[in-house]
This record gives sequence, C-alpha cells and structure tokens, in this order.
Amino acid sequence: MKKQVIIFQLNDEPVEIYVDPAESLLTVLRDRLGLYGTKAGCSKGECGACTVLLDDRAVNSCLVPVGKVQGCKVETIENLSRGGKVHPIQEEFVDKGAVQCGFCTPGMVLSAYALLKENPQPARDQIKMAISGNLCRCSGYKQIEEAILSAAKKLARQGNSIT
Amino acid sequence: MILKTPEKFTRQFGKAESKGYQSPEVWSKVTGKAVYGIDLTLPGMLHGKILRSPFPHARIKQVDTRAAEALPGVRAVLTGAELENRPFGIAVEDELPLAADKVRYIGDEVAAVAAVDLQTAERAIKAIKVEYEELPAVYDPVEALKDEAPLLHDNFPGNIAWQREVERGSLSAAFTEADLVVEERFTVPAIHPAYLEPIACIAVNDPYTGITLHTALQSPDAVREIVARVLKYPLSKVNINGPVMGGGFGGRVYGNLKVYILSALLAIKSGSPVKIQLTREEEFTAGRPMIAAVIKMKMAVRSDGTILGREADIITDNGAYSAQAPWVSKTLSERNDSVYRIPAIKTRVRLAYTNKVPTGQYRAYGNQAANFATESLIDIAAKKLDLDPLELRLKNCVREGDTTVHGLQIGKCGLAECLQAAAKEIGWDRKKAGRGYGLSAAIHANGSLVFDKNFRGASALVRLELDGRITIFTGEQDYGQGTHAAFAQIAARALDVSPVQVTVESKQTKTAPFSTGALAMRQTTVGGKAIQLAAEDLREKIFKAAAELVGEPVAMENEVLRSISGQELELAEVAYHYHSATSGLRMTGEGKFVPAESDYDESGYGNISLTYSFASHAVEAEIDQATGELIIHRLVAVHDSGRIVNHLTARGQVYGGAAQGFGMSCFEGYLFDQGRVANASLADYKIPTALDLPQIDPLFIEIEDPAGPYGSKGLGEIVMVPVLGAVANAAADAAGVHVTDLPLTAEKIYQALAGWECEL
Repeated sequence: MKKQVIIFQLNDEPVEIYVDPAESLLTVLRDRLGLYGTKAGCSKGECGACTVLLDDRAVNSCLVPVGKVQGCKVETIENLSRGGKVHPIQEEFVDKGAVQCGFCTPGMVLSAYALLKENPQPARDQIKMAISGNLCRCSGYKQIEEAILSAAKKLARQGNSIT
Repeated sequence: MILKTPEKFTRQFGKAESKGYQSPEVWSKVTGKAVYGIDLTLPGMLHGKILRSPFPHARIKQVDTRAAEALPGVRAVLTGAELENRPFGIAVEDELPLAADKVRYIGDEVAAVAAVDLQTAERAIKAIKVEYEELPAVYDPVEALKDEAPLLHDNFPGNIAWQREVERGSLSAAFTEADLVVEERFTVPAIHPAYLEPIACIAVNDPYTGITLHTALQSPDAVREIVARVLKYPLSKVNINGPVMGGGFGGRVYGNLKVYILSALLAIKSGSPVKIQLTREEEFTAGRPMIAAVIKMKMAVRSDGTILGREADIITDNGAYSAQAPWVSKTLSERNDSVYRIPAIKTRVRLAYTNKVPTGQYRAYGNQAANFATESLIDIAAKKLDLDPLELRLKNCVREGDTTVHGLQIGKCGLAECLQAAAKEIGWDRKKAGRGYGLSAAIHANGSLVFDKNFRGASALVRLELDGRITIFTGEQDYGQGTHAAFAQIAARALDVSPVQVTVESKQTKTAPFSTGALAMRQTTVGGKAIQLAAEDLREKIFKAAAELVGEPVAMENEVLRSISGQELELAEVAYHYHSATSGLRMTGEGKFVPAESDYDESGYGNISLTYSFASHAVEAEIDQATGELIIHRLVAVHDSGRIVNHLTARGQVYGGAAQGFGMSCFEGYLFDQGRVANASLADYKIPTALDLPQIDPLFIEIEDPAGPYGSKGLGEIVMVPVLGAVANAAADAAGVHVTDLPLTAEKIYQALAGWECEL
C-alpha cells in the first residue's frame, strides 16, 4: 500500500511516522521506533507476547495495521517504568516469582494493566480470563495470577488509581 | 552516579531477597528492557532466510539460483552443491548444512539467502528454482522398519537410526512365577518444547577474532564445538555470546544447529553479520520436537503386588534426522525401570527414520513419555489384583541403599515419603464420589557420570571485585529457572555475604568455564557444587590476605569480616590489598568438582549419576460422561529434590513443569498429514492457557542429600515426569477404562467409554 503519515499518541507523547498503513503496529514499534519491549512470539495473534494497550484496551499489536492507530493512544511496556519508576504490577510480578524466561512478561503485565484499569478488584477467574490470550510456557500461570491479585490489593491499599 | 538511586529499585531488591532471592535480571525482564535474541541487530546486518523442501522425500535434480542472485539487495546465496558434504550430527552423523542430493522431510533445508532486508530475502528464496524428483516416503515408524519401506539414509539400513536390546535378571523366570501378566500398547506423539521466543541467531565473521554467534543456548559449549567442526575453524575462533533466552525446556540445549551453521556460512560468504530468525511455523515444521513413541509393555506381578519383571518393545519416531533422539530413546526406554525394585527387565528399543520433521529433546528426555506407560500398567495390574495402587507402589518403590536393575545406586531417597504425602494431600482415604484419583512416581538423574566419562562434573570461578562485590563465572545457563539466583545464594552462604552482593556471568563461551550446560538436571547439583567449592576456596584466600593485612587471624560472621581482636574489615579493603600486592590481579577462588568415576559397563549397567531426585504426583479428576471430556480438579506434586535452595523459584518450576505435563497429557502433540505438520501454529498446536490448568499444589520433602551443595539437588526436569502417569490413572479411575494413546482427548475417552474398538 502507499505510504501515509500516521500520527498517534505513543506512551503519552505524539509520534508521527511515514509508513505503509498495512504494516503491523508490532513491527512499527520494534523495527521503526526501537521499542523492543514488545515481543514477537508468533506474529499471528496466537501468543499474546506483543500485547500493547490501544485506547486502554489490551490488543495483539501484530494484528493491528498501523493505519488503524491514526489518532489513537498506544501504550507499551516502556511506559510503565519510565525514569526508574516501577509500576506496582511489575513489583508484584517480581515479588511473587511470576517472571521466569520473561518473554511473555511485558505482554502479560500489559494485559494485567488493562484489566486493573477496567476492574480494579478482579476475582481469580477474571484474571485467568484476562490473561488467557497471553501464552506462558514457563510458569503454569499460578504466580502470575498471584502477582495480579496482589497488585490489585496493593493499588487499593495505596488508594492509587492504576496509572 | 550523580543521580539519586531510584528509591523503589533499592527497596525492592531488599524485599525480594527476604522472600525468595531472585537475580537482578528479573527487573530488566519485567520492565521490557531485557535484550533477547530476536531483539538484537548489528550495524550492517543482513537478514537470512532458508529455502525448504516442499516434498517429504525427493531427489534434488537441479538448483538454479541465478534469478535470486540477480535481485538487488541480495548479498549471498548458498546451496548444498558448493559445500563440502561431510555429515555432522549430535548422537549420529546424518545431517548436512544444506541438502545436497536428497531432501527427506517437508522443511528440509535446500538453500539459504542473505539480503539487506527480510522482504528481499523472502523474494530471493522464491526466485530460486529447484527441480525435484519425488521419491516414495514413509511416515509411520512401525512401517519404516519393514523391509519394503523406502530407505531414507543409504548408510542406515532398515531405517534404523539407533537401537538397543538389553536384558537383566531372568525375565523368563519372572513370567513363569507371575500370578498376573498385564500387557498394553501405548502411544505418545511428538511434543514441541514451545519456548515462546523463536530461535534467532546473528553470526559475525571477523578475520581476527573468528566467528561469533549471538544466540541463546542451554549448552553453548556443545554447540560451539559442533559449529567449529563443521566450519573447520579452530575452537578458539568460535565464540557464542548469549542474549537473554525466551525459554528452552531442553529445546535449546543444541537448539537448531542448521540456523547457527547457515547464519555463519552466510556471514562468511557475504562478509557481513547475518541474522536468521525462525518463524513460529518453521519452529514447528523444521524445529526439533521430542520423539513420538510406540511402547508395547508387559509386566509380571505376584498376587501380593510384588513386581517380578517387565518387558518392553519400543519404537521411537526419529523423523528425518537424528539430533539427540538416540539418547532420548535410551532414557525413555530405561529410566522408569529404576522407580521400582524390578528384578528382571528386557527391553528392545528401535529408533526409526521417517520422512517427517527431525527430532531433538525436551524437558525430562522421554522419561515422562515412558511414565505414562509404566504407571498406567501398574494401575491396570492393581485393579486386576484388587490392590490399592498406593500400596502396590509403596511395596515396590526404590529406597535408600538400593541398587536398581540397571545398576543405579540410590543414595538419599524420599520416594516412599513422596508417595505417602501425595496420597494424603489428594485425599486418597476420603475419595469423593464421581471423581477419579491417580498416583504416579518418578526418578530422574542429576547430571551424568557416563555421557562423557572424562567429563563428569563442573567447574567455576568466584572472584572478589575491587569494590568488595563477588562475581561468579560459570558455564551453567539461566533462562528463568532460577539457576543463577541459586548460585548467588550458594556462594553467598559459603562466603557469608548477602546474595545481593553476588553477580553471575555465564553468557560468553570465550571467558566462561566450560560446561555441558543446562541439561540432565545437572546445574544445581553438579554446577552448584562447583560454585560452593570455588566460594570456599575464595573464602580461604580472603582470610589469608586479610590476616596478612591486619597481622592476626580473621573470621567472617553475620556478613562482617573481623579479626580476633575485633577489628572490622571491608571486603573491598582486602581486595585492594591483594590487588596492590599482585600488581593488579583480582582474588579468585577456583572450584573443581570432579565426581568419582562410575562402574558403568559396556552393557550400560552401572551408576549413571551423582544422585537422583524423586517425585510422586496425585491427581483428582472427573469425566463428563456425555462428552468424554477430562476435567482435572487438582494436581498435588510432591518432590524430593533435597534441601530446597529457593522456595519461590522452586514452586515456579513445579507449576511450570506440571503445566507442561498437563498439556502433554490432555491435548498437546504433533499431527501429521502425509508428512506435513498439520498443526504448525500455536492456534493449532495448543499449549495450556491460564484457563486450562487445574489447581496445582507443590510440596517438598526436604531430605538433605550430601551429594549436592548444602544438601540440595535437581528439580527442573522431574517436575514434568509424574504428571503423565497421574493424569492417565486419574482419568482411567474416573472413566473405568484406560486410554492408552496420548493425548487423552474427549474424543478418545468418549470412544473408550462407549466401548468402541477403533484405531486412533
């Protein structure tokens, strides 16, 4: 397709790129914008490693043509720990042993982030549903679920909003 | 640093340590900053692609690369015709870097291209014209062994890649004495490790330093040797630099040798760095899954439940090329014989070439596949004898001091305790109506004394840095199992410092001590022992140098170095004193752990490992009678892995291994259609999601084993083994009938319930 100018909000900053609008958001983020925290496990929407937030909803960035994000808000893992800050979800992932090889982790953290934005006190089943599109081969998911439950409690205790 | 340290980082490190220490690497992973193989790029880097065979078996008549070479942006095109055709391999030598005269599976490597970008490389691959002459193919390993089957490799007659027959004790006496003989045929499909990051490698060829491969491997030293041999480079001119690894599970012990060799050859030919990255589809169609197996097994039992003997005839499906399949076949065929006191065994195992995806290895090396057969057969016998499956297992299980039928010497052993705990925890004595219960037991070796008789142990260096921190240099690899955290804890314990003070370096083969790597469940036991010895050596050197410095003896207590008169010393002071006295050396402890030679003989009888880990799993399940669906409610995983170094990461190993065992039991497995992989995607080759898994409860029976560091031993592989038997037995208990073909899908269970006689 013919290249176009695409403008969107990326991690709270405006981004303008000249690109084939059919190219996937995943390859734009990784190969054009250098945001390698978003992982590519299958590039077919099957593994969830490339999960990002598109207007606050968790999506597989490999399935989103970048033309579709024109004027939208995109958030990647890099936005959760800027300037040496670590998000409480990330703290709990470490604390509960939810990170093994770590390849699914950025996508998993973002699915949790999207869930907690929408539902600050999810039940375990709702957590399982929210991360069911994110494959993890290492963990058996148990410590990930514990981390998300614990992060929800921590955020509620702090009286913080998710962001 | 002028910037104030971010408060959260320091606080979190401390906090994480108190609950279960983890390597600092988890922070780079959780923040998305860890650099994996797929993330790497280098200046001037080209992208490589591989042209693969569309036919399961065909002769290559002609390869025309002219159109591909003429494409703008193409920098190198490589075919088998321009390579010296000397076969290489891991267990047997049956592969070429690129097929020369014949292709043997759909996916076989025929040509490779390097171009300025991936799109150009893909176009170039399509522009290569190959003329094939199709040959008859064979897909079924049983068929492949028949006289009339098409032959894959001229130098492997009968399509046998490897075979073994072994008999110990008197099997005929066992079957004569038996009150009951049970017999079944079990099948297990090929299983992909399905690490989430596809294999990627950047090869850089430099006339001065040689070839550097940037790729993450479980056994970089082993791959380094093979790559050097194939390229005819001196070993010191090959280096492997490991980025962060996105999962391994045995699949990255040797990884995908074709990817490493072809990226190196393209880098040499083009003069630029070349990156080859497999697609997920290539991972399934041209990766290295674990062998499928057909296991015919017969067991002789006395009416009181005493196991008298066992006979097995096993055919494993090698696919087109062998990798580690002979070794996996061997473990699959014999390791389960040492779970119980079986006085006589007879086993024949044949590894058959077929025109399908080549095979490699997966966590637990086939021990889990055989566990499905052996543990199912024990429950079948228990039912026929009207004995409690728990009692039958307790009556026969190996105990400390035993020498098993294959000569394994059982040291510390908590298998009976594991069985009792698993049964108690699942509610063996208060079973719920409508539910099925299954038990199983397992043994797994901790490293090998016999794989390379001249290399049985491990070594490590532990260095005191000028700032007083500690660095471990090891060849043992961590890709999330927690190995490096455990090593930091072991060194910290020996030195009486905090693990936070310890850094682990393992990623460069040029500087790390040699290691056989992350395989055979050896790293904590064997590698960890070397760390302990190195740290103890360093401790003595620290004491000596510190005593020289203050002129009186010193000791370390509660992380403080103090002389007998009470003078406190910083480790940094001692380090600097040594640095000055030696004009710049850093104080380094050496750990050489060399286990005694084994009595292992020509027939394969003898003690194969330093020590063994044990486990018993119990499962509570239910069958939906209308659909045959197997619903697993709970899995209790009890392990004797000695003293647990880190409970947080140990639990993570159990959850993850149980999940893999659950996937293999219930729905995973390769499907083929005329040699073509029919489920070559993560949508079709289903691995467990968060919604699929039952409650999993890990329990540890912590019997200290002096063989390992501070009484600990291996856990990472055995976690998967007993899942298969426990799930199968719970399913059979609920259904009233044993399904003997993995995976245990609703369709198969439904057909078994309906009593259909049907070849599945």
